[in-house]
Amino acid sequence: MSPEEKPNTSAEPMPEIITPSNREVCIVAEQVEGEIQTVTLELLGAGRDLANKLGGKLSCFVLGHEIGELPAKLIAYGADEVYVADHPDLKYYRTLLFKRVICDWFHAYDLPPHIVLLGSTTTGRDLAPRVAANLKTGLTADCTELDIGPYEHTSKADPAKFGLYPGCLYAVRPSFGESLKARILGPWNNPQMATARPGVMIPLEPDYNRTGIVTQVPMNFQTEDYRSEILDIVRELNNTVKLTEADVIVAGGFGLGTPDGFALLESLAGCFENSAIGASRKVVDAGWIPYQHQVGQTGKTVRPKVYIACGIAGAIQHRVGMSKSNLIIAINKDPDAPIFTFAHHGIVGDVYQVVPELIKQLKAQAASAPKATASTSA
Amino acid sequence: MMTSLIRQIYVLMKQVPDQSAKAGINPDGTIDRAKAKRMMNPFDRYALQAALHTKKLYGGKVTAISMGPPLAEEILLEALAHGVDNCVLLSDRRLAASDTWATSYALWKTIEHLGPFDLIFCGLQTTDGDTAQVGPEIAERLNLPQVSYCEDFRVEGTAEKPNLNARRVIEGGYQWVRMALPGLVTVANSYHPLEYKSLRGAQMVLSLQRNPEEKSKYIRILNLDDVQAEPKETGLVGSPTIVAKTFKIAEIGGSCVMHQGSSVEDLVGDVLNNTNLLEFTHA
Repeated sequence: MSPEEKPNTSAEPMPEIITPSNREVCIVAEQVEGEIQTVTLELLGAGRDLANKLGGKLSCFVLGHEIGELPAKLIAYGADEVYVADHPDLKYYRTLLFKRVICDWFHAYDLPPHIVLLGSTTTGRDLAPRVAANLKTGLTADCTELDIGPYEHTSKADPAKFGLYPGCLYAVRPSFGESLKARILGPWNNPQMATARPGVMIPLEPDYNRTGIVTQVPMNFQTEDYRSEILDIVRELNNTVKLTEADVIVAGGFGLGTPDGFALLESLAGCFENSAIGASRKVVDAGWIPYQHQVGQTGKTVRPKVYIACGIAGAIQHRVGMSKSNLIIAINKDPDAPIFTFAHHGIVGDVYQVVPELIKQLKAQAASAPKATASTSA
Repeated sequence: MMTSLIRQIYVLMKQVPDQSAKAGINPDGTIDRAKAKRMMNPFDRYALQAALHTKKLYGGKVTAISMGPPLAEEILLEALAHGVDNCVLLSDRRLAASDTWATSYALWKTIEHLGPFDLIFCGLQTTDGDTAQVGPEIAERLNLPQVSYCEDFRVEGTAEKPNLNARRVIEGGYQWVRMALPGLVTVANSYHPLEYKSLRGAQMVLSLQRNPEEKSKYIRILNLDDVQAEPKETGLVGSPTIVAKTFKIAEIGGSCVMHQGSSVEDLVGDVLNNTNLLEFTHA
C-alpha cells in the first residue's frame, strides 16, 4: 500500500454483504438552535470508521430551519454527503415531521443504507424507535461501542436466520443489572440501527478542506404530521444540573440513606467554583432527586475533573457514566463496594462524618492558603 | 349534558427482576430470573400514576396491559389495588425472547384487539431491557402522535377534540408540547410518584386472590391467537435483533488508593494532601 492511499481504508477487502444494502452509513444529526450537538460529531467519528470498514459512504441527515453552514461542519467532521431538510416547520424537533422526512427519503432508496445511527438523547430516543419501526428493522439502544464484523447464525431455535453474515453492525451496550456487556446485532434487515450514548465516541479532528456533497431532501408533510406542536421551550440556567460542564461533580447514592443527604452534598458542592450534583439511578428511581441529575447508563455520561461519589456502590451502570473522570474519590461504608475497584482514592467511612469534615478542611485550607500554591498533583 | 374528555386509557406495564434484592443475584453479577424477586418496573409506577390521575380529573376507564409469563399477574393485581378498572395479560410461550420490535408487535395487536382509546401511558423505559423503545414503536405501529419523557400534563379541548398539554424533559430544560388525542405518552420518573393504594383496593385484591373465578373478571388472560397476532412476527423468530455475545467488562481495579486512618480528620487530610481537590475551590 502506497502512502498516498487513504490511511483509513482497511487492508482486507470487505467480503460481500449478504443482506441487500448500499453499504452506506447514515448519521441523523441533532442540532439545537443552529448548534450541532456534540453527540453528532462523536457519531460522525464512529461512523467514519464503520463506513471505511464497509467500503461505503458516510452520510449525515440534518433537519432544521436556516441551518446555514451546518453541512460544511458535518463534512469537516467526516461526512461524505449531507442530506439537508430546511423548512420553517422543522425549526424545532417534532417527532412526526422529522420521521416523515427521514423515512420518506430512505423509502425512496432501491437498496436501503446499511447502518443508521442516532444519539441517545431525549430527541434520538424519541425519534429512533419511530424510524426503526417505520422501516421495519431492529434497533439497539444506548450503545457504548460500535464496530463491524462477521456473524454466523447456527441456533436451531430460529433456522430462518441461518447463515454467515459479514459486515454486521456490532452494537455493544452494558447489559442491565449484570456486569456484562452484550453485543447485539441484526444483519437480517437493513438499515441496522443503533443509538449511541453521548460522551463515549470520539469525534475526528475537523478538516475544513474535506469535500462532500450537499443534497436537498424533498419534504412532503401530511396533515397528520401536525398533530403535535411545540408551545414553549425552557432551558434552565441552573448550574446544579449542568452535569456535563461541571469541573467537580458531587454524586450521591442509596448509601445516603435518606433524600436529605443531598442537602449535605449541596454544601460540599458549594465549596467548589464550578460544581454540580450527580446521582445514581437507584436514588432517582426512588424519587430522591430529579432524573436530570442521573449519571450512568440511562442518565448522563460525564467526564469531570473530579467526581466525588458519596454512598454510591458503583454498579456497572453507574460506572459507564463516570469512569472517565480525571479523579474519582469514593466515600462508602462498605469496604467491598465495587466503586473501590475503580476509584482513584477511597475512604471507607460514613458519608455523614466524612463529608462534613471534608467541607470543614476545604474551607479552612482555601481560606488559609493562596490558591496557586494550594495545588498538589493527583 | 357534560361528556368526559377521556373515555378509555391504557397503561402498559412489565414485571422485572428486583435488582436491589440480594435474592437471585449470582456472585458474578448475573441474574437468575427464576430465583430473583419480581416487581413492577419502577418506571411503570409513574405511568400508572399518570393513568389514574387522568381518570380522576378527566374521566374514562383505565385498563392495565402487560405481556409476560402467568406470574406477571402479580403486578396487575397490584395495579388493581391502586385503582385500575381491569387488566389484560398477554401470555404465550411463543413470545419468549422477543426483542423490542417483536414486543411492540404483540402489544400493538393486543391494543387493536381491545379497541379504541384516548391515551396510552407507558413507563419511560424498563429497568431490565432499558431501551425506551417499546412505547414509541407501538405509537408508530398505531400511527399515533407521542410525547416521550413526559413529566407533567393536562387534558384540554372538547370531548370531540381533546388534546394533551404535556411538559417533556429535554437536555438542560423542558418543553411544553400540545398533542391531539388519541396519543401515546411515556412518563419520566420526574413525574409524581405513585400514590398509596387504598384500603378498599387492597382488600379487593385480597378477596380476588382467594377467588380465581372472580379474579378472571378483572384480569383477562389472552394468547397470540386471541389477539390475532402472527406467531412468526414475534418471539425469538420475529425479533430482528439478537444478543450475539456477552462478555465480562474488563476489570480495571487495583489502582484505588485506600485511605485508612484513626480519625476522620486524618482520613480527609490524607486525601486533600494527595489530590488536587483544592484547585477547584472558590478563589
